[in-house]
Amino acid sequence: MIQIAGILFWLVIIPFCIGLLPAGFMPEDERKPGIVLLAGYFTMWAVFGLVTIPVVVFVRYDNFILASRCFMALAILGAAAGVWLTYRRRRFGRLREWMSFADCIREMSVAERIEWLLFLLLLGFQLYKAVAYASFDGDDAYYVAASLIAQQADTMYTILPLTGRHTGLDIRHALAVFPMWVAFVAQKSHIHATILSHTIMPLVLIPLTYLVYYEIGRLLFGRPDRQAKAEGSGENLSLFMILMAVFQIFGNVSIYTNETFFLTRTWQGKAVAGSLVIPALLWLFLLLYSGRKKGAAAERAGIWLLLVCVNITAGICSSIAVFLVSILMAVAAFCLAIVERDYKVLFKMGAACIPNAFYVLTYLIVGYGYLFKQ
Amino acid sequence: MWGIFLESVVIFKNYMGFHQHRYLAFLYLGILLYLWFAEKDRHRRAVFVYAPTLLLVMFFCPLFRKLFVRLLDDSETYYRLLWLLQMSLVSAYGVIRLCAAHRRIGTALACLLILFGGDYVYDSEHISKAENAYHLPQETVDIAEMIEPQEGRITVLVPADLIYYIRQYSSNIELPYGREMLISRWAYHHPMYEAMEEAEVIETETFVELAREYPCAYIILKEDRETTEPLTAYGYEVYGQVDEFVIYRDLETGME
Repeated sequence: MIQIAGILFWLVIIPFCIGLLPAGFMPEDERKPGIVLLAGYFTMWAVFGLVTIPVVVFVRYDNFILASRCFMALAILGAAAGVWLTYRRRRFGRLREWMSFADCIREMSVAERIEWLLFLLLLGFQLYKAVAYASFDGDDAYYVAASLIAQQADTMYTILPLTGRHTGLDIRHALAVFPMWVAFVAQKSHIHATILSHTIMPLVLIPLTYLVYYEIGRLLFGRPDRQAKAEGSGENLSLFMILMAVFQIFGNVSIYTNETFFLTRTWQGKAVAGSLVIPALLWLFLLLYSGRKKGAAAERAGIWLLLVCVNITAGICSSIAVFLVSILMAVAAFCLAIVERDYKVLFKMGAACIPNAFYVLTYLIVGYGYLFKQ
Repeated sequence: MWGIFLESVVIFKNYMGFHQHRYLAFLYLGILLYLWFAEKDRHRRAVFVYAPTLLLVMFFCPLFRKLFVRLLDDSETYYRLLWLLQMSLVSAYGVIRLCAAHRRIGTALACLLILFGGDYVYDSEHISKAENAYHLPQETVDIAEMIEPQEGRITVLVPADLIYYIRQYSSNIELPYGREMLISRWAYHHPMYEAMEEAEVIETETFVELAREYPCAYIILKEDRETTEPLTAYGYEVYGQVDEFVIYRDLETGME
């Protein structure tokens, strides 16, 4: 019972409440439950990275205890602030939309309802497979073991996960603290880190990924006006989601694709980077520059903040992901600057990448700083 | 430069599964080409057409590959650049757009194309029915529960079959060597591993000497693993057996 309560608290309630903070600075149209949850997860992961990385670098003994306490305090404060801010400003936006879910279904055509049901069946199938079937991956001997070490020994990246021997800081992996977040949730929920990774995390990360796809699809197809409804834009969205689900199930054309990583290594940071973080960037690019009614600058501050959080999240997922998302940001900024005919796009997107620069600097100093010591 | 370009082509082909006769890449490239002509919204063109095209050009550019490998000091992960293309996302969007008024038939046809051009992820040899909530082989869990110390940590020598899993159950069970020994291209050498795995018949005296250097509180061998002499002749007792794995406890180290 306490485990279920812990899971619900740290994987649903806390991220949702934290998400109310950036959502409060988004256009009202975008203040939907799904976006709040996504915003909450990326903000939470960013905060975790900002707390944990300095602790990993500067504290050697019992560093996991320190990082956990700091993060727990900030997470709870952030969640409380999100709730207070929303209540105080009465900026519920479209949060109440989920209460009219039944109305939403009633407005759908029979065909659309069947399509959504088909998508839910495909999603349910993937979740069933994730829980009932074990996917072997050699990297788990490192990453899952690292989470378990943090949970059982209260230490991060100073014990080799493969053997258990003590080591100096493993800079190759130390800044990618996603396994430490898994360890944190495992510890607070009193669940074995391996069970959390293999059995529970897919139940969270898979729907979260489809939520990103849904939001992208909503921007591409989900126009609320009557003409769009007459054109069946809602059906486009359901069919889009079906195609995405089919792509994930049959995208295993090699062991290298992000679709393969998504369903067979869901709990690993690099899979989160490829399947959740990178699509989230595309989502935010569309949200910022889709040509819809843009809203006041203050209202879009939340989206820019989210863009920064997603960049930080890339860093906690994988050291290489920082490089990859920086390339994507640069390429997208270049292309968007050309279509917008506005060079300021480059500066804004560049500013959102500042955390990546700090990350790389930290990596270089910690990894190679010894070369400059006398 | 030409050689580097060809390497990128090989990486691309391996990523797309051409060697396994998987051709989803053609669906993606076809959709990308379609969007080049059909997508009129400039922002969507930037995100779904220009950016992926530029990324593809960069991927095949020898200078970019050189820079990538030099900066990251790693050539094995170059394929991850292709993750930025988000092929499924672009393909799904393009299919819906292409099919327009006939979207249901179009989606159904696209699903069939994906089915025949892709590969079903769940028939992979690496996926099997979970035996427990840990998603670890049950024998690993049973063995670890038998040998896990009440306090402190112990070192245990296990066969290659268990190396990946044992420390995912308990971090209090240490190993003389880890998974790095099982990846031949990493070219690690370890005398304990060589004695344990590479010898056709384990030379018991030397083997026990090596194991006691750590010291290994337990040695786990498959029941059909041949040894020149039984371990019981060198101060070990048979502590238990789980399926084909026999657990020997070292009486001399005195650890439990």
